[in-house]
Amino acid sequence: MQATFKIQRYNPEKDKKPYWAEYTLEVDAKDRILDILHKIKWEMDGSLSFRRSCAHGICGSDAMMINGKNRLACKVLMMDLGTTTVTVEAIRGLPVEKDLIVDMKPFFDSYEAVMPYFIGDAVPPATEYIQSHAEEKIIDASTKCILCACCTTSCPIFWVNGQYLGPAAIVQAHRFIFDSRDRAGAQRLEILNQTTGVWRCRTAYNCTEACPRDIPITEIIGQVKRALMYGTA
Amino acid sequence: MYKGNEGQWAFFLHRLSGIAILLYLILHTVSISSVLLGESAYGAIHEIYKLLIFRLGLIAVAGAVAYHSFNGLRIVIMDFTGWGVKYQRQLWYASLFFAGIVIVAALAYNIPRILGGE
Repeated sequence: MQATFKIQRYNPEKDKKPYWAEYTLEVDAKDRILDILHKIKWEMDGSLSFRRSCAHGICGSDAMMINGKNRLACKVLMMDLGTTTVTVEAIRGLPVEKDLIVDMKPFFDSYEAVMPYFIGDAVPPATEYIQSHAEEKIIDASTKCILCACCTTSCPIFWVNGQYLGPAAIVQAHRFIFDSRDRAGAQRLEILNQTTGVWRCRTAYNCTEACPRDIPITEIIGQVKRALMYGTA
Repeated sequence: MYKGNEGQWAFFLHRLSGIAILLYLILHTVSISSVLLGESAYGAIHEIYKLLIFRLGLIAVAGAVAYHSFNGLRIVIMDFTGWGVKYQRQLWYASLFFAGIVIVAALAYNIPRILGGE
């Protein structure tokens, strides 16, 4: 079948502002959007720029706004969209470097700010840390994050206030705050209690719906809010 | 336009109704305080509010207050309980339903008064 791809393009070295480029091509219902972007780049217009690495929904490189929603281009099939007109834009709230490529630095700065690494006992146990299944279950969902930024860049608060750490950083913080083996939960909670932390979340729910890993993000942010309010973590 | 679902629109309407209520409150406070300038100033300002646009606006403000209150309760439930977020969609429809009742009541009360030239 024929499909029309409207892709928002922008080259800061040449263009004053972003513009829409249209490509009409033959596609298969089972093609992934990433396959079609490849076809456009390789066969129609080599100047089109986008990020992708593993192409299997693990590396989180190809987050983009497809038909108005943030998704991974490698996890969406043509038939999932239910239309032959497809719009593709860069994710919002981060500076566009070229076409669908954004500067991820502010996103990773927020990630780093929550200390996303394990901080155990000062004197580690002689053997491994023991964690029960029930204890693991609490952080199970938040360990699944691949840092693709679909959530953070779907958040209306993040669009207008880049200072907000954003859903992805909170999910990463949650992964350690509620880890029974970790000892720096209080420090991370303090970071999330700042004005740039969890209280910026206005439960618009876009993050949860955008997450390609089906992480219940708004619920996780809620858990952090309640840990702060009730002192439970 | 980002194609978010109920949560996004609940948030957007909450902001919009919040701004509407704020503007109303400012206008309300300013016009009430005009009594400091004397009874005739107060009367002249309040005469303006008999214009149709203000009378219809009052119904809109009632709707905004109702939506903001019910959706505010929805937000409280989401933030304070573990189950609220799971039912955020249903809770939003409930907020709209209750706000709708208030709007219908405001219309039922005000439209006959407007038509009757009260």
